[in-house]
Amino acid sequence: MKILIQLRTPTEMASYEGCALALTLATFGHDIQLYLDAPVFGLLMQPTSRLHGMVQSLELYDMPAAWLPDDVFSGWITAFLPNDLAAQLTFIPEIVDSAQFEQILTF
Amino acid sequence: MTTDSIPLLLITADPSHPLAQLALRYAQASLQHNPSLNVFFYGDGAHTANRLRWQSAEQINITQQWQTLATEHAITLSVCVSTALSRGISDIDNSGRHQLQGDNMANHFQLVGLSELAIMMQNDCRLISF
Repeated sequence: MKILIQLRTPTEMASYEGCALALTLATFGHDIQLYLDAPVFGLLMQPTSRLHGMVQSLELYDMPAAWLPDDVFSGWITAFLPNDLAAQLTFIPEIVDSAQFEQILTF
Repeated sequence: MTTDSIPLLLITADPSHPLAQLALRYAQASLQHNPSLNVFFYGDGAHTANRLRWQSAEQINITQQWQTLATEHAITLSVCVSTALSRGISDIDNSGRHQLQGDNMANHFQLVGLSELAIMMQNDCRLISF
């Protein structure tokens, strides 16, 4: 199943639960795309947050790089992140056909 | 995916959220036509399984309504164990395992791992999130 999981809530628990769901479903062969919205950037920047560690390991789960909003703020934040984490992030494509996803989940 | 596929309701809405009520109504309507239904409570949806969640009498008791539905249609009300525990919702087994005092899991709800959801999704299912 192809699913887009959007992380928009700036709490440790919500971002963890959304990301945990993404990694678990990916483990079971589902095609998961993560989208990290600006409110979770604060957590992403904290090396001790679970979100930081989980996004760092996306490649191990055969997941594509997580999408970030295509704006200046995302560019700025990516420059401040460690290289191994920044490598797991990319700007959201200019055009996204949401119909390609069977479900879009938001946390 | 076909319209005959088994509906899988992924409920992340808090029981006080209108979507939680909508999920219940969807389940009630679906079970009238099709005896197969999978339900998975995740995130804030886990609060639905808390039997100690008090509310005033004029409010709809969504926990009780799910329990009634589970009894009438023999469906399993699966709740993600980690999201439940992190919200202070536990059954006897997990309270023992994690040295927690007491338990507050409502009857007919069952704590399961997140992998259960992934397995439900591997079958021919129609995932609907609330």
